Amino acid sequence: MSASLLLQGVILGILLGGLYALLAAGLTLYFGVMRVVMIAHSAFLILAAYIAWWMNTSLGLDPLLSLVVTVPSFFVVGYVMQRGLLSRLRPATLTMMSVLLTFAIALTIEGALGYFFTGTQRRIQLSYASASFEVLGAQVAVVKLVAFGLAVVALVALWAVLKLTSFGQALRATIQHPEAARLLGIDTDRIAGFGFGLGLATAAIGGTALSLDSTIYPSLHWHWIGPLMAIIVIGGLGSIPGAAIAAMLLGVSQALLQIPLGTTWAQTVFYVALFATLMVRPQGFFGGRLAQRF
Amino acid sequence: MSTASTRIRRTAGVLGTCLALAAVTSACGLGAGASGGEGGDDEIVIGISLPLTGDYSEPGKGVQAGYEAWADWTNDNGGLLGKQVRLEILDDQSNADRVASDYEQLINSEQVDLVFGPFSTRLVVPAAQVAQDYGFLFVEPAGAAEEVFTQGFDNLFYAAPAVADDHYNLLAEHILAMPEDERPRTAAFAAMDDPFAQGTAYGLRDKLEEAGVEIVVDEVYPPNTTDFSSIAAQIADSDADMVVGGTQYQDAVNMIVALQQLDYQPDLAAFSTAPTNPEFAEAIGGATEGIIAPTGYTPEAPYPSNEEFVDYYTEATGEAPGEDQANAWTTGQVTAAAVEAVGCADPDPECQGQLIDWLRENEVDTVVGPLTWDAEGRPESAHLIQQYVDGEIRIVLPEQSAEADFVMPKPAW
Repeated sequence: MSASLLLQGVILGILLGGLYALLAAGLTLYFGVMRVVMIAHSAFLILAAYIAWWMNTSLGLDPLLSLVVTVPSFFVVGYVMQRGLLSRLRPATLTMMSVLLTFAIALTIEGALGYFFTGTQRRIQLSYASASFEVLGAQVAVVKLVAFGLAVVALVALWAVLKLTSFGQALRATIQHPEAARLLGIDTDRIAGFGFGLGLATAAIGGTALSLDSTIYPSLHWHWIGPLMAIIVIGGLGSIPGAAIAAMLLGVSQALLQIPLGTTWAQTVFYVALFATLMVRPQGFFGGRLAQRF
Repeated sequence: MSTASTRIRRTAGVLGTCLALAAVTSACGLGAGASGGEGGDDEIVIGISLPLTGDYSEPGKGVQAGYEAWADWTNDNGGLLGKQVRLEILDDQSNADRVASDYEQLINSEQVDLVFGPFSTRLVVPAAQVAQDYGFLFVEPAGAAEEVFTQGFDNLFYAAPAVADDHYNLLAEHILAMPEDERPRTAAFAAMDDPFAQGTAYGLRDKLEEAGVEIVVDEVYPPNTTDFSSIAAQIADSDADMVVGGTQYQDAVNMIVALQQLDYQPDLAAFSTAPTNPEFAEAIGGATEGIIAPTGYTPEAPYPSNEEFVDYYTEATGEAPGEDQANAWTTGQVTAAAVEAVGCADPDPECQGQLIDWLRENEVDTVVGPLTWDAEGRPESAHLIQQYVDGEIRIVLPEQSAEADFVMPKPAW
């Protein structure tokens, strides 16, 4: 492997890792606030990508403009989903039943996308799709950089909301210890609903980023949910920085392994890392306190 | 006596059950009945399963359009054996398990008179197996990979000019005929993990390798791959003189965009299938100049039935037919030629056997030229090589039918 190919691989890996990080952050947030395994996260990702594609092809709008619609509406959908469906599950079987419930939601979204847009693969055609610039002999594609930029901005915003606002403080308190948070007067039910909405909003942003430089089709979400689940376990369930760091590391590893191993085998890096994590440090590598309780 | 009465009672029972069933399904065959005894007597029903959703939905719909146009044209021109043709089309969702059960259903419960094949090797093999089990003639429009012809099918005929491995034959001959110092020295290959796509690329790869061209990249990717950046990075890093994609449609678009993003500029770029798609130019942002593709069909081909086909299809749909439509139409032509020559079209194994035997020994004039087949059903003709020259895809090889000169090196994309 030449040095330039290595550099190109690292750059591609970082650009991919950014998107993984954003999506994994949302996924781990659900688990943090509610102990819910959200299988439908990547289905919402693809839904957002379809909305971006649809707005581009039928209305002629830049896909980035679809964020104006998808982010608030996904936040509302997330809140309603948490308050209307997930909070009604019995706490004793919540984690298990949430898998089934969100699995059903994922299938519903996939089926609806197939019904309305058919199973045909779609790709947004942008005038700047093939534009790129050179950095130290490696090429950086503009669309990938825009997607990465979106992911970074969204992650920073998520971090700011969690760290700098009183809502974020309440959300973190709910994640850390719901009973104590309630004793302090936090309406943890409402906060959990908002947390869920926040998680789904990351899927809206991720979907738009994905649609810029990838083909989409209704069943694509199954390709995303496996790696994302592996990432949040490796990062430590409920830990947003852990998820982001694990996502970045695994994204780069995947991109680099594709060079010697090929596309098919490089996908296994997520699962090999997952097995290794479960054997060596089952609570994950960051903020593992939550996972230990299971 | 007792045996006879038992037989009568049993027959009555079977008839009773059949009547009950017939009320529900209107399908009740008692073995090999008289010719045309199934379905309506004044029509010939043709059973087809196609990938109308899923991975192959794009070409699947093209094949469907071709089949439907052929059926309409046949009915406008007196039908088949004087009967109207009706197509019974099921959707197999691009799923190989589904396609087998679809053909079981078409032959068993729908009682179709003839079957036509689905799209693509992965679906043709299981479908042909079912047809073989029931002794049906199986003419198919899109199973071009070598594995279709090595399964021991004796009922299969591929209705196109050449099998996958031979698609690039004219390009290989042209490259190898160049003077040593002008030939590409290195080549990069990337192929979808799909027998057809790999067949096209590897047919060319093996011929070039034998002639001393160095293969610097040889990658395989799964059918649903959407991220081609790593494959493109390897091809760009190798700086191969030529790049060849064993592709279907969307993967070629993604790969080309990824190669453009990395500013890789080869002297020759060839991709299977995708460049002949009318949406291709727009999908890769118009930078098509110099891209090469083998094609089994072009509307400009001078065969007599082709002009009729192009006129009819263009008038009916408002656009010129592509390769998928043409191969579907060819499937119809080939089957119809056998049916008219033998004079039967029903599920009876004897009739189907006669159709099969007739095609073994005769040449059929089609929209892709006159076709004959070897014992395994491989067509014995050649694919044209097309290239985007001055913004249009034109035939460049063989030289006697060329519409434009072969361009090398390829302009930057």
